[in-house]
Amino acid sequence: MTLATIPTSTTTLRRRARSLPGWVAIVVVAGVVAAPVIVIVASILDPTTEVWRELWDTRLPGMIRDTVTLLTTVVIGATVLGTGLAWFVTAYDFPGRRLLGWALVTPLAVPGYVLGFVWLDTMQGPLGARAVRSIWLCAAVLIMALYPYVYLLARAAFRDQSAATVAVARSLGCSPWQAWWRVTLPMARPSIAAGAALVAMEVLTDVGTVRLFNVSTIADGVLRVWFGTGDRNAAAELATLLIGAAVLLIAVERLLRGRARYTQGGRAESVAPRRTRVGTTVAAAVAGWSVVALAVAVPIVKLVRWVGEARATGQTIAVEGDLGFHVTSSVRVAGAATIVCVVVGTTLAWLARRRGTAGQVVARTATLGYAVPGPVVAVGVVITLAALDRRDWLPDGVLLVGSMVGLIYALTVRFLAVSYQGVEATLAKVPPNVIAGARTLGAGPLRVAVRVELPLIRTGLLAAAALVAIDSVKELPVTLLLRPFGTDTLSVWVWRATSESLWVQAAVPSLAIVALGMISVAILQWALDRGAEVTT
Amino acid sequence: MQMRRTTTPRTIRLAAIGIALASVTAACGSDDASSDGGTVTVYIGRQYGIEPVFEAFTEATGIEVRFTSGGDPELRERLIAEGENTPADVVLTADAANIELSAQAGLLAPIESEALTAAIPAELRSPDDLWFSLSRRARVVIYSTERVTEPPTTYAAVGDPQWAGRVCLRPSTHPYTQSLVASIIAAEGEERATEIVSSWVANDPLYINSDTDIYKAVASGECDIAIANTYYLGRLQTENPDFPVAISWPEQDGRGAHVNVSAAGVTANAPNPEGAKRLIEWLATDGQEQFAAANFEYPADPTSPVNELVATWGEFTADLGVVLRLGELNPAAVEVLSVAGYE
Repeated sequence: MTLATIPTSTTTLRRRARSLPGWVAIVVVAGVVAAPVIVIVASILDPTTEVWRELWDTRLPGMIRDTVTLLTTVVIGATVLGTGLAWFVTAYDFPGRRLLGWALVTPLAVPGYVLGFVWLDTMQGPLGARAVRSIWLCAAVLIMALYPYVYLLARAAFRDQSAATVAVARSLGCSPWQAWWRVTLPMARPSIAAGAALVAMEVLTDVGTVRLFNVSTIADGVLRVWFGTGDRNAAAELATLLIGAAVLLIAVERLLRGRARYTQGGRAESVAPRRTRVGTTVAAAVAGWSVVALAVAVPIVKLVRWVGEARATGQTIAVEGDLGFHVTSSVRVAGAATIVCVVVGTTLAWLARRRGTAGQVVARTATLGYAVPGPVVAVGVVITLAALDRRDWLPDGVLLVGSMVGLIYALTVRFLAVSYQGVEATLAKVPPNVIAGARTLGAGPLRVAVRVELPLIRTGLLAAAALVAIDSVKELPVTLLLRPFGTDTLSVWVWRATSESLWVQAAVPSLAIVALGMISVAILQWALDRGAEVTT
Repeated sequence: MQMRRTTTPRTIRLAAIGIALASVTAACGSDDASSDGGTVTVYIGRQYGIEPVFEAFTEATGIEVRFTSGGDPELRERLIAEGENTPADVVLTADAANIELSAQAGLLAPIESEALTAAIPAELRSPDDLWFSLSRRARVVIYSTERVTEPPTTYAAVGDPQWAGRVCLRPSTHPYTQSLVASIIAAEGEERATEIVSSWVANDPLYINSDTDIYKAVASGECDIAIANTYYLGRLQTENPDFPVAISWPEQDGRGAHVNVSAAGVTANAPNPEGAKRLIEWLATDGQEQFAAANFEYPADPTSPVNELVATWGEFTADLGVVLRLGELNPAAVEVLSVAGYE
């Protein structure tokens, strides 16, 4: 594909010669982050055909069917819901618009596994224990948990769009609907596609929610094979299948984006929200608030009730340290992971955008950790870091495995894709002529990056940071295996209760996770609002 | 896009700097000593209510315990990767298969301890003293006391067509299901085990990935019989003494009810092997009763008293002969479950 660079023809050759340090940087950064995934994939060189044959005869067809069904349903559902709601809150004016705009982001704060066990418990009564464990309810839960990824990115894209473009379309004879379908939507497509790709990866790697509903996906199969037979190689080969699926998805996303470049020149006045027919507005607002009720209000009410129940029966699981201690641990871990992810993600996206398809591919390998189930990433990181530790390369016997540095590295491996996707999509919208202009005026690439590009993508950076922060707070398997002694996060507390099926005792830490998520969502919203002011 | 001169709001910048500093400090502050003479470090698979037991050990011996909990297989991979650098002194697992896999991977060192060989029966410790069981967990048939008068008395009878649509089972992803099937393979052979599991599947069981929820499903009438571990009943009866579910001890005319164990071993590269040994010895002797009772399990030492509530469920014959082979048979069990179409 020829999407990335439009080289200024006269300088192409000189730039190629000078670009070597950049290439070295991109390969090194991507290599360091991708190492644990490569370690896992490398095991495919020593294939175990026997397990495969048995899997093919027994579970694999079902796993593939469940994975495809779930993936398709959730991605389509989340994309339509996220895009529709994003358009509604940006284009139309109605009472409570700003509040709904914020509320629609809040489902991000509720971890999928919490939403899953709350809904499982709620629907068990009316549906019965058998019917409640269905792939469709699982898909509904995942759509509610994941649509905000699409919503956030689509809304930012709609907001940034110039009213002038739509006006031009209208003046050329397009109806409002045609203008939306042929101009507005295609211009938002890179962001929507980026959001959908995030949703797809989350679905591919989820192991917490699917198990609640007895849905047997490939990710579930990886753990099944590995932990059931102790055959790490066979499990790694299955995981490689997942990575293959992810690579395919990324390629599809690129194809959707096509050769087009979506930039905006000149002064941009955003599309102003307008009033529309009362009936339409009411219907859309009801739809929006219903989503919020199902994805956020129901779980919070249920969790609060469970807290009361646990108090009443005096049943609390014994954990070391109080709530404050766990909150502090979570904030420390998530804060550090966020900073590292955003810095590395931005650097990588910036380096890659000047380096054509090859650069994109190399940078993308660093984001593959997002396409691998958490427990597999965790073990990949342990193997990688322990190999370093055995070389005694750090003074005084300091070890990486079980250190805060190791944990943050592992979370970066897992979540770099989140920051990279967000930053890259925003970066793609910086007009090349602005950069060319700055270069003409004598600024070096680094200076342009800091003085021109960075300020332009600031809202994108903040959005990416908030997303990584929320993901890190919710994250479990990596934190569980790599945390230093004494760093017990909220998600670890949830795990200690739910691994013993004590849902009620998981209510306090679950609520705390939701609260931390809400704070991130609020910061994100506030920053986006400021950002929007700046760019109009 | 317009580029008006803008500054990042100061609060955001301050917050960002604050978080950055905090995380750097956090990163530097994690150099806790791993081989402090007075501390034992434990890698522990899920273990309900273990904290008070460790506290009691510290009180009795003055040795501190710190632990990291997680899934047994993940912790084993970590132990393998860490090699000589591991901070772990003790591995404590929730089932026999996982501790045996650790032993086979060369991760455990033999424990020479007369106290341990005296307390723990030979069927419940590895022949080369690499690990010792600390408690027994029975997996049994449970039934509704309201709707069932003649519950199955063997695992095979759960597949009787009279129970079609009335059975709850745990999915095959769970080690408990796998070790149960491993024990059936040991007793009846792989072919017969496949038949038995297939007959369960033919009864269209409701799969529930939580023993507590399985008990609740039997109580609420979603199913009439199920297979589950006993200790969850202890927790439920503590909440509600009249909980309408009871245990039917299976295979009492034959090999006995399936039993798995919690087991512990000293790691091959333990920084504090002496402390590790003392912890395991204490858990098998002075702390044995408390360790088992903490989770309504049965003590591994047959002479140790059983928790009062647990004792009300009656005495039973346990299938102890297979415990040492559960690890070796686990892959076969996974295969049988797959072939039979068990979810």
